[in-house]
Formats: sequence, C-alpha cells, structure tokens
Amino acid sequence: MACGSTSLWAGETSWFCCGNAWGPCNGAGGGACGNCQSSANHGAWPNASQACWDITRPDLCGENIPRRGCGSVMNVKHQCSGATVCITITDCGPRTKEWCGETACCNGTCRTNRVLDLTPAAYSALGDLSSGKLPVYIYE
Amino acid sequence: MTAHQDDTGGLDRRRLLARAALGGATVVGATALGGIDADAAFAAPQSPLDPAITKSSFVEGRITGISGSVLEIAGSYGDRSRIRMTNATSVWKVRPTTAEVIEIGDGLYARGVEMPDGTVAADAVWVNIVNLHTTIRGIEKKRLHLAHGHHELTGNVIADTTSASYAGRAPTADLSRLRIGQSAQVLGAWRPSDDSVDVVRVSVGH
Amino acid sequence: MLATTSSLAPVVLAVLLGWTGAWKLFGSRVVQQAPKTALARMLRSSERAALVLRGTALVELVLAAGLLAFPAYPLPGVATALLGAGFTGYLGYGLVIAPESSCGCTASEAAPVTWRSFARAGVVLAGGTAAATSSTAWWVTVVERPATSLALLAVGAAGLVVLSVDPDRWWLLPLRRTRLRVFGHPLAGKAAGERVPVAATVELLENSLAWQAASPVVRSGLLDHWEEAGWRFLLYSGVHEDASRGEGDGDGEGGARPVSVVFALDATASRDTAGAPAARVGVVDADTGRPVPVDLTAVRPREVLPVAG
Repeated sequence: MACGSTSLWAGETSWFCCGNAWGPCNGAGGGACGNCQSSANHGAWPNASQACWDITRPDLCGENIPRRGCGSVMNVKHQCSGATVCITITDCGPRTKEWCGETACCNGTCRTNRVLDLTPAAYSALGDLSSGKLPVYIYE
Repeated sequence: MTAHQDDTGGLDRRRLLARAALGGATVVGATALGGIDADAAFAAPQSPLDPAITKSSFVEGRITGISGSVLEIAGSYGDRSRIRMTNATSVWKVRPTTAEVIEIGDGLYARGVEMPDGTVAADAVWVNIVNLHTTIRGIEKKRLHLAHGHHELTGNVIADTTSASYAGRAPTADLSRLRIGQSAQVLGAWRPSDDSVDVVRVSVGH
Repeated sequence: MLATTSSLAPVVLAVLLGWTGAWKLFGSRVVQQAPKTALARMLRSSERAALVLRGTALVELVLAAGLLAFPAYPLPGVATALLGAGFTGYLGYGLVIAPESSCGCTASEAAPVTWRSFARAGVVLAGGTAAATSSTAWWVTVVERPATSLALLAVGAAGLVVLSVDPDRWWLLPLRRTRLRVFGHPLAGKAAGERVPVAATVELLENSLAWQAASPVVRSGLLDHWEEAGWRFLLYSGVHEDASRGEGDGDGEGGARPVSVVFALDATASRDTAGAPAARVGVVDADTGRPVPVDLTAVRPREVLPVAG
C-alpha cells in the first residue's frame, strides 16, 4: 500500500495516545480499529465509519470529509516545514465539531479545523509534541 | 549528564548566541525570501528523497534505568531500548529543561537517530507528556478537576507555566475564562506518583 | 427515632443494592468495565472478574428482595452487613494493590476508588446491622408515622445521591458553577495579560516564515530560552549539511556538522498581536561557536523516510 501524492484534505492535526501506554491515554485498548499503537505511525480520521462520523460531525464545521476506513494509508505533510510521514488510520477522531474555526497558521496561510489526530510517533516526525497542533496537508 | 550551559560559560554562550541571532538574517513577511507559496507546494510533486538523510527513530516507554547519559527504556509492548542523550538533545518535562530532571519510572517519547551500537541518539525527548481530551468538572486555586473518559483526573495548575488558549487564540496566562462543563484539550505532564497531570496548556473551544 | 430509622433502613438498602445489582447483572458494559476494576487485578483475569461481578449482582438483588419482603427476620440484615464488610475489605485491598483502578461497584462508573466508595460500603454495613436489629416491618412504620418516614427516606435518598458518581451532573456541577459565580473565579487575577508565555512565542515562531526556512536545519525541540533587551531568544540544535563537502566526521554524513540555531523574537508579541512577526535567525557551529553562513533560501525541506509499521 503506497502512501502517495494525490491531495485528499488539509487542516489541523493534533496528537493522542492509544494502545498499551504509560499514563492516562484516550484510546486505551487499541482504539476504534483495535490495533492502534502510540509507537507506530498511526492516526485517527473523523470519518472512519458511520458511528465515527456521528461522534466527530466534521460537517458541523463545514468539513465534508470523505470516508476512509480502518487501514487507509495517508501521507501527512507539515505545511510549514515540509516534513512528511506516512500513516495508517487505526482510530476514530478528533472531535472536529468541538473545535470549529480553530486555526493553525504558517506565515499567514492558515489551516482551519481539526481534521486529523496522529500518534506520538507520527506527530513527532513532523514537529514538537509540546506544540499540540500543526497545519498539515493530507495526501493518499 | 551535562547541563545545557554550565555556570561559568553559560552567560558568555548566551551572549554569543544572541549576537549571532541579532546579527543574522532577519526574516519578515514574504519579501525577504521571495515568498514560499504553500498552496502551490501542496499541488506540486514531492521532491526526491535525499539518501544522505538518516532514518528517524521513535521510542516510547517507561524509564527503567539511567546510566550516565544512556536511558534504559521498557516499551509498552515488552520491547527494550536504550536512548543516548547529548548536549544537542532537547528535554521536555513540563517545560524545556535539562536531563537532570528525568527520573526512573517516568514515561517517555523520544525522537532520534539509530546508531550502529543499537542505541538511539535522541534529538528530542518528551517526558510524561500527555494530550488529553477532557471535560472541566471543577475549578480551584491550584487544581482543575477534569473528567477524562469515565475517569476523574486532577489537573495541577502550575504557577508561571499553565496557560490557556481560548477558541484557538494564542496561549495566555489568564485562566479566569475557564468554565465548568467546558470541553478542554489538556496538554501536560503526567505525575506517576499520584496519577495527576501538571497542566501546561488547556485549550477550550467555544 | 432509632427504631424508626432501623425499620426504614431495609428500604434504603434495597434501593441501593437493587440499583447496583441491576446495573451489574443487566448492564451491557460489565464486560467492558471489568478489566479496569481492582477485582480483575486480584483475580488476574477480566473474564473471572466479570463473572464475579455478575454473581455479586445476583446476591445483591436477592438481598434487596429479602430486605423488602422479610423485614422482621434478621437474616437479610445480617447477610447485608456481611456483604458490606466484604465490600469494605475488597475496597481496602483494591486500593493497596491497584490504586488507579475502579471498584466496579455499579459497573457504569469507571471512576477510581475514592472515599465515596468506602462510604457506600459503610452504609451497607451499618444499614445491614440496623436492619438485622429492627423488629418492626417497614410498611408498618410508614403507615404509623408517615411524615417521619418520608423525611427519613428523603434523607436516605439524598445520601445515596451524594455518594453516587452518576447523578453528579444534576447537582454537583451546577452547585460548583454557582459557587464560582458567588465567590468569584479562583483563577482570576493570575498575571492577567502582561507577560506573554513562552509557549505563545514558540507558537509565533512556528507560524513564521523564519521557521519555514530554518526548520530543515533544526533537529531538536526547544533546548533553552531567555530574554534580553525586549528580545526573547529560542535555542534549538540542528545539523547543517554543507554543500561544499567540508571535513566529514567519518560517520557517513559527509559535510554535516552540528549547529545551534537561535531565533530572536519580540518578547511581547504573540499570534494575536503580531501580524507578520519579524524573527531573526542565527546559526552557530555547536563546537566552535563561530557563525555558520547558512543561505536560508537554499535550504531544501528534508523528507522523513516512512518508518515501517
């Protein structure tokens, strides 16, 4: 499964932990797809399934994000630095509807709305975990 | 493990760096660099991979031993790793700090480069960092009571460090606009001793 | 008064035990919550924990029925008191071996064991004892002294609500909100507005063109920061690949040398106040301390190789 260069979506990404983990962790037990791991390049997509969509409701922020189920492979590129990482979707998230209008910008160009959540492994490949969110382009 | 600046050379080093920065390139707006069009870059083909760039490695787990500048890590899936700290390694534990604050039993994420001897030379190490989706259930002078999933979580308010971001704005030290019942994204440092979290940044939406 | 309370105790206990028993026996989340309980740790198996939880639920329901139907007999009361003692022991043991786990008491709350759990167990113990010693049926008491019975039952119900976690959102949170409004926000007046947090400056830097240009050189997170003369300096470490192929280190990286990258930004600026931030960048050789002339326009964004898995 190649991680390609067809543009899919753009927006903000945050990060979360899943699977076996030290400390408090949201996606304990492998996340919605059952195989999510913090140490792997995995991510959470707001439209991984219908049940997922009902929780995240990205359409309430104007993002009609297409369905990409568990196992979908995406290429995520940090808008500012150009760093990229290939990820596999293994969970449902983020709750886009709770953060409508939130922006992450880079020299004046902004990406709006949280459309992706990455594991620490994937996020740290793009930036600093302590910054919390990044503007990204998503390809498949 | 060495500190990032020792007592004698610290101030001189800072002055040297400050001079380099203030004397260096001033990058403002798009005019200085002729503009980097981000959206055009989105559509453009990806540049070829540079073979000279080494593969970046990621390590996660709990610290089980510290010997000199090497950290022994027990991963959450039973794997074991060793991380080598250098002067160039950034350490985050509640705030950017030095390696002295790292303790056995702390949780860790690290990014670095795998060395021929099997250790990972770390570029950046984040100790006990968590990023949790919570609901605020109580606010006190030194503590926030948070609900994380079905669990109750205590968030410690740290003077001079805890900041809040309201509706996506820049972090501010003003925490007085936090409300009970709000959904809050909490970026902080877990305390293994009592399972509480030192709140570094709390982001609330609307 | 004591006699009245003792005779009404079975009612309150039956409600509590009926509630917790029904949740555990008929609730769909028992299997999900079982692994998080202290019981699972003790038995070293979530399946056995779920079975024990269901078994306990059955016992609770039987006792609840017994307390209501046979108030004059001491047996239900004694059995309930024993159950309460057992709960207290289990909670204490659980707190010692697995402090962050939940008790599994109602199987709908996965909250950790707190004083409330112990209080509930204590209520079961004390209530059971009271029920065992009572000789009057509860329906007789209700008929004979309706007002007192109603008052006592209301107190009992309120007590149960306070000791349970689930109903919190209907009374505890509104109470806390009101307290905030009356007594003022506890976090108000903490350095409101003057000092810009370092996190805000870092965010400003990461949003700037300077970061876009220099980040391929930067490898670490924030190493250090300090302020001087209105500037805030942010220090990172990195690797500069020399196009001119200077002395290599022999480690296969060719002309790559470790550098310190320092950014200087206005200490009072943040994303909300600054438009396009003026950031100054300096790159200094990490060993010699001499400035490295890096042509930022020539720096190519580095591609991170996809890591397997």
